[in-house]
Amino acid sequence: MAQFAFAIIAACLLGSGFQAVSSRNLVHSVLWLAISLVATAALYAFLDASFLAAIQIILYTGGVITLMLFGVMLTEQGTDTGITNASHRRIPAAVGALATFGLMATALWQGAPRGDAAGEFVTAKQIGLSFLTTHLLAFEALSILLLAAMLGAIVVARRKDP
Amino acid sequence: MIGLPAVLLVSAALFALGVYGVLSRKNAIGLLVAVELMANAVNINLVAFSNHWGGVAGQVFALFTIALTVAEVAVGLAIIILLYRAHKAVEVDEAAEMSG
Amino acid sequence: MDKLLLAEAIVLSPLAAAVVLLVIAPLRRNHAISASVTILATTVSLVSALLLALDFTGNPDLAPVQQQWPWLPAGGHIMATVGVYVDAISAPMLVVVSLVALCVQVYSVGYLGHEPSNDRGRYFAYHALFAFSMLGLVIAPNLLQLFLCWELVGLASYLLIGYYWTKPSAGRAALKAFWVTKFADMGLMLGLMVLYVKTGGFDWTVTPASTLQTIDHEWIAGLLLMAVVGKSAQFPLHVWLPDAMEGPTPVSALLHAATMVAAGVYLIVRSYPIFEGAPTVLTIMAWLGGGTALYAATVAVFQDDIKKVLAFSTCSQLGYMVAALGSGTLVAGYFHLTTHAFFKALLFLGAGSVIHAVHSNNLHDMGGLMRKMKPTAAMFIIGSLALAGFPMLSGFFSKDLILEELLHAGHIVPLACCVLAAGLTAFYMTRVVMMAFFGEPSQASDHAHESPAVMLAPMALLAVLSLVAGLLMGDFVALKDGYAGFHITALGMTVSAIGIAAIGAGIWRFGPSRRATPLGGPATIFAGLVAKAPVDQTFELFYRRVLDRVSAAAGWFDRYVMDGLVNLAGYAVLVAAAKLRKLQTGNVGDYVYAIVGGLIVLTAFGVFGGN
Repeated sequence: MAQFAFAIIAACLLGSGFQAVSSRNLVHSVLWLAISLVATAALYAFLDASFLAAIQIILYTGGVITLMLFGVMLTEQGTDTGITNASHRRIPAAVGALATFGLMATALWQGAPRGDAAGEFVTAKQIGLSFLTTHLLAFEALSILLLAAMLGAIVVARRKDP
Repeated sequence: MIGLPAVLLVSAALFALGVYGVLSRKNAIGLLVAVELMANAVNINLVAFSNHWGGVAGQVFALFTIALTVAEVAVGLAIIILLYRAHKAVEVDEAAEMSG
Repeated sequence: MDKLLLAEAIVLSPLAAAVVLLVIAPLRRNHAISASVTILATTVSLVSALLLALDFTGNPDLAPVQQQWPWLPAGGHIMATVGVYVDAISAPMLVVVSLVALCVQVYSVGYLGHEPSNDRGRYFAYHALFAFSMLGLVIAPNLLQLFLCWELVGLASYLLIGYYWTKPSAGRAALKAFWVTKFADMGLMLGLMVLYVKTGGFDWTVTPASTLQTIDHEWIAGLLLMAVVGKSAQFPLHVWLPDAMEGPTPVSALLHAATMVAAGVYLIVRSYPIFEGAPTVLTIMAWLGGGTALYAATVAVFQDDIKKVLAFSTCSQLGYMVAALGSGTLVAGYFHLTTHAFFKALLFLGAGSVIHAVHSNNLHDMGGLMRKMKPTAAMFIIGSLALAGFPMLSGFFSKDLILEELLHAGHIVPLACCVLAAGLTAFYMTRVVMMAFFGEPSQASDHAHESPAVMLAPMALLAVLSLVAGLLMGDFVALKDGYAGFHITALGMTVSAIGIAAIGAGIWRFGPSRRATPLGGPATIFAGLVAKAPVDQTFELFYRRVLDRVSAAAGWFDRYVMDGLVNLAGYAVLVAAAKLRKLQTGNVGDYVYAIVGGLIVLTAFGVFGGN
C-alpha cells in the first residue's frame, strides 16, 4: 500500500517537473512547477515531516509561485508569453542531464544505507526547540540574510528618480 | 516501507530534470523555474536522510534551504525586472555586452 | 731599525700618498702640496729600500725579509696572500724604481711649470699611485699579488699617458696601451691559473723536485711570456709604446723606459725557476728578444720625433734583456735592466729638457742647442754613450755581459742580431745628438734657454749613475749566479769597435752637411722597408675583418635567438589569451553550461575517481 502511494507521488512529481522544464508557455511552466511543489509536500508528509510539508506549501507554493507569476506579468513582451528551449542546446542539455542522473544514481545507490528507517515522527515543537538552541546562530544569520535579500531586491528593482 | 534508495533515486531524477531545464532554457524566468526544481530535489534528499537516521537536523537544514531559496528567487526576480527594463526582453542571450 | 717595518714602509708610504691625494680633492688641487706629498713618500720608499738593499749587497743568500697576510680564503685553507718579500732579487729593483721615480718626480715639478696649477696635482696623485703599484709588484711575495699590481701599473700608465686629456690623440694612445697590454695580460692570467691547478699555489719556487713536469713548465712559462711581450713591448705587441709618447715626457721617462716596461723583464726574473725548466720557451725568448732588438733599432733610425727614437730604443733594449734571460742566466738581463733604467731615464729627461726649450718634439726643429744648453747637452751625450755601450760606461758592462751569455748558450743568430742592433743603436743615437745639439741652429733653437735647476739636478744624478753603475752594480746585483766581474773578451772588443765605428759614421753622416735621411745602398733601402712594416695596420685589419664580424654574429644571435625566445614566450601568451578570451561570451546560458559541465566532471571524479 505504501509503495503504491509512493509511486503515485513520485509519478506526479517527476511528470510535473518534466512539464515545468519543457512547456512552451511560460505561465504553464510556472504552474507545473506549483504542482511539483505540492507533490513534494506530499512526499514530505509521506516521510514523516509534516511541519515541513506545511511550510513547503505556504512558502513555496504560496510565496515563490506568486512571485514568479508577478515576474512573468511584469516582464511580459506583448501578449504572448511563449518560450521555447534553446534549440541548439537541447541535445547537449539532455546529455548533461542524463550524465548527472547517471552519476548521482550510481553514487546514491552504492552509498545509500539499506535498512529500515527510524520512523520517528518529527513535531513542530522539536523543530522549534532545535532552532532556538542547537541551531541558534544559523537561525539568526538566516534572519539577517532575509533582511538583506529584502533590501537588496527593493534597491535593485526600484525605479530611479529622473 | 519505502527504502531510502528509492527516494534518493527520485530526487536524483528530479535534479536531472532541473539540470536539463537550466541548460536548455533561454528565458530567464524559465531558468529560475529549473533552479527551483533542483533546490527542491536537494530538499527531498535532506528530508529522506533525516527520516532514515531519525533526529531533526535534516529537516532543520531543509527549512534553511527553503528560506534561502525564497530569498534567492526574490532577488533573482528583481534582477530580471532590471534586465527587462534595460533590454525589453528577458532572454539570457540578450545581455551579452560583457563578452570577451 | 726593524727590517719588516722598512719593507712595509717601502710600499705603504706611496699608497698612503696616493689615497690621500686621490680622496682629498683640496689637497690635490694645490700642486705644491700634491708634489710634496708624493716626493716625500717616494723618498721614504727610497731610503727604506736602500737600507734593506745594503744588507743584501754581496750576500745573495741572506734570508728574505717577508711577511704575508691571508687574503682569499677558499675551501678551508687560504688561497692567496698579500704581503712583502724583500730578498736579493727584489731589493736592487726596489732601489732602482724608487730612485728613478724620485728623480722623475722632482724633474716634473719644473717640467710642468707652465701648466694650470689646478690640474698638476692630479699628475702627482697618479705618480703616487704608480709608485705604489710598481713597488708592490716588485715586493710581491707571490705571483698573484704581482698580477694585481701589474694591472694597477697598467691603470696608472693609462691615466698618465692620457694626462693631457684634452688631446684626442692622447686619449687614443692611452686606450691603445691599455688594450694591447690587457690582451697580453690574458697570458698572465691563464699562466697563473695553470700554475695554481698544477701546484696549488701562486709561488714561483718550483724546484725540480716538485710535481711540475717539463710540459707544465713550458705552458706556464709560455703564457707568462705572452704577458711579457705585451708589457715589455716586444714584437708584435710593441705597437703601443711609440704611441705612449703622447704622455708628458717625465712619464715616458719613468714608465716607458725605466720601470713599467721593465716589469715584464722583472716577472721573468722573479719566476725564473719556472722558466729554467722550460728550454723551448727560453729559446723562443732568445730569438724573440734578438729579433725585436734588431727590428726596433732599425725603425729607430728613421724616426724624426726625438721621443719616438727613444721609444723604439727602449723596445730594442728590452729585447736585449729578454734575449739575455733566454740564454739561461739571470744576471745579464737583470744587470742591463738596472743600467738601462738609469741611462734611458736620463735620455728621456734630457729630451724633455730639449723639448721644453724649443717647444717641439721634431728633430728638424732642433739644432745647435749645444751653445745654449751646455749642461743638458753634456748629460744627454753621456746617456747616449752609455746606451751605445761606450767602453767603461755602465751600458758597456751590461751589454757585454748579455752578448757573452748569448754566445755561451749557443744562440748564434740572436747574438748576431744583437751585435747588429748594437751598431745601429750607436748610429741612431749619434744621429739624434748631431741633429739636436750640433749643426745650424733652427728657428726655434734661437729662442731656447737652459732648463731650471730643479730639472737639471735629477738628470745630473742619473748621469753620474750612468757613468759608474757598471762598476758598482756587479756587487749590488748579487744574484745566485754571481757576477764574475768584467773580463776583456774578443767579442767585447769586436762589439766595442763596431760601436765606435758607428758613432764615427754618424758624426760624419749627420755632421756639418746635416742631411737628415740616410739614402743609397740596398741595406738602407731594405732597412727603410722594415721600418715601415705595417704592424699597426695588420692589427687594424684583423680587428675590422675578423673581430667585427664575430661580434656582429654574436650580436645577431643575442638579438634574434636569445631575445627571440623571450619575445616568443610573450607572444605565445598574447595569442593564447586572445583565443581564451572567446570563452567569455557574455551569454549567461553559456556560463550556466560551463558551471553544470564542471559540476558533472567533478561529480564523476568523485564517484569514479581517486580516494
